[in-house]
Amino acid sequence: MADNDIVLKAEGICKSFGAMEVLKGVDITARKQDVISILGASGSGKSTLLRCLNFLEPPTSGKVFLHGEEISVGKGGKLNQKQIERLRSHLGMVFQQFNLWSHRTVLENVMEGPVIVKGESKSVVRKRAEHLLDRVGLAERKSMYPSQLSGGQQQRVAIARALAMEPDAILFDEPTSALDPELVAEVLKTMKSLAEEGRTMIVVTHEMAFARDVSTHVIFMHEGRILEEGTPQEMFGNPRTEPWRRFIADVS
Amino acid sequence: MDPLYIIANYGPRFLDGTLMTLQLTGLGALMAGLFAPFLALARTCAPPAAQWPLRLYISFIRGTPLLVQLFLVYYGSGQFRPLLQDWGLWNFFRDPFNCALFTFVINSTAYQTEILRGGLMGVDNREVEAARAVGMSRWRILQRVSFPHAYRIAWPALGNEVILLMKASALASVVTVFDLMGRTRQVFSRTFDFSSYLWAALIYLGITVVFVYLWRQAELRMTRHLQTGSNTTQGEQRNG
Repeated sequence: MADNDIVLKAEGICKSFGAMEVLKGVDITARKQDVISILGASGSGKSTLLRCLNFLEPPTSGKVFLHGEEISVGKGGKLNQKQIERLRSHLGMVFQQFNLWSHRTVLENVMEGPVIVKGESKSVVRKRAEHLLDRVGLAERKSMYPSQLSGGQQQRVAIARALAMEPDAILFDEPTSALDPELVAEVLKTMKSLAEEGRTMIVVTHEMAFARDVSTHVIFMHEGRILEEGTPQEMFGNPRTEPWRRFIADVS
Repeated sequence: MDPLYIIANYGPRFLDGTLMTLQLTGLGALMAGLFAPFLALARTCAPPAAQWPLRLYISFIRGTPLLVQLFLVYYGSGQFRPLLQDWGLWNFFRDPFNCALFTFVINSTAYQTEILRGGLMGVDNREVEAARAVGMSRWRILQRVSFPHAYRIAWPALGNEVILLMKASALASVVTVFDLMGRTRQVFSRTFDFSSYLWAALIYLGITVVFVYLWRQAELRMTRHLQTGSNTTQGEQRNG
């Protein structure tokens, strides 16, 4: 595959919190239309990896490239705040706890990024935001506040908020883990429809069915490293390492 | 004692004093309100070395009586008159109103800083993180997320501070400012009628009641997003 297909690439990502080494050199490459599921037990470093990709946690060392452009880090290198802000505006993020802005209405939440960060005109953004809310099935809730919505609805607003930025890739940090079981399906359905229209997605998740049926690539993390990765067919059909085998057995 | 006689004959003086009190309190609280967000920000995220002058200032203000602070400014400025003249500040400090206003601004800034600092610390970090993730600059995050929440959290305490300042502004009368208290003392010294102070008390109370009502209305507006239930339908109607 041609290199200009690569949207996001990270090399040798290490992250320590004090003496604790959470990530010990992780490589990850996301090409256009990839849907990458990152699995692993809690504490394996999967959420930290995701947060290193958009520098919510600056990596201790390693390199991150967006469309081939290096975002400099590590080894005493100073972070370039402007560059990082630009990187983030190209990467949507959906959080476990939704993290909607509670003082803004649903519509305002979706419009905020494009208007404030990208400086787009309100009327253009409003149309797009209403369209996106319609898409996630929340058009009639646009003037409500997040606290008036269910968890599943909030998460779908958060997805619309990420989409409104027209990102090159979207990072999902355990998007269904905080939801009541009956609300998980609606969020997964929305994510699946994004995958089907060819969005580039990196998803940290515990949903084995999503990893198996929707993603194009599965990564299993274990103790701060990628232990095993491959297509869902390879990963689920022919697990090679013991921890991964045990993980499949435990979760399903 | 004849309350009606007092108000009938000295009404304009009370009105004049009331306006002066409102001016002193309003300007003082407002100007302090301009400085406080910057200092509160410094208190939450400046390096410790830059913190201690600020903490010293706040401790001093909180640990000394307002009357002492007022005398320090009022008599102090007299002491340093030649110096102030050199700096072109004497014209400002020779007016007791300005001395009182200056003292109140310095005083209220310290309190408002501490109140806002508490508000900033109460902001949900997850919302800040969402703003970072979307690519907002630090300044934008403060403007769009942190301060709107901080002000909402701090709002009741800030209202309290304004009321305390309004009542404390009566001290300005000690340095010959004719605020409500100053005028009342003037009226009393002419009539020796105790009901002058009764009127003053009622006017102070009236100001407080009106202020509390207005402040509360603003608070309700600010917390719209926290009200669930019946407001749901209202929200739909507003944009429907």
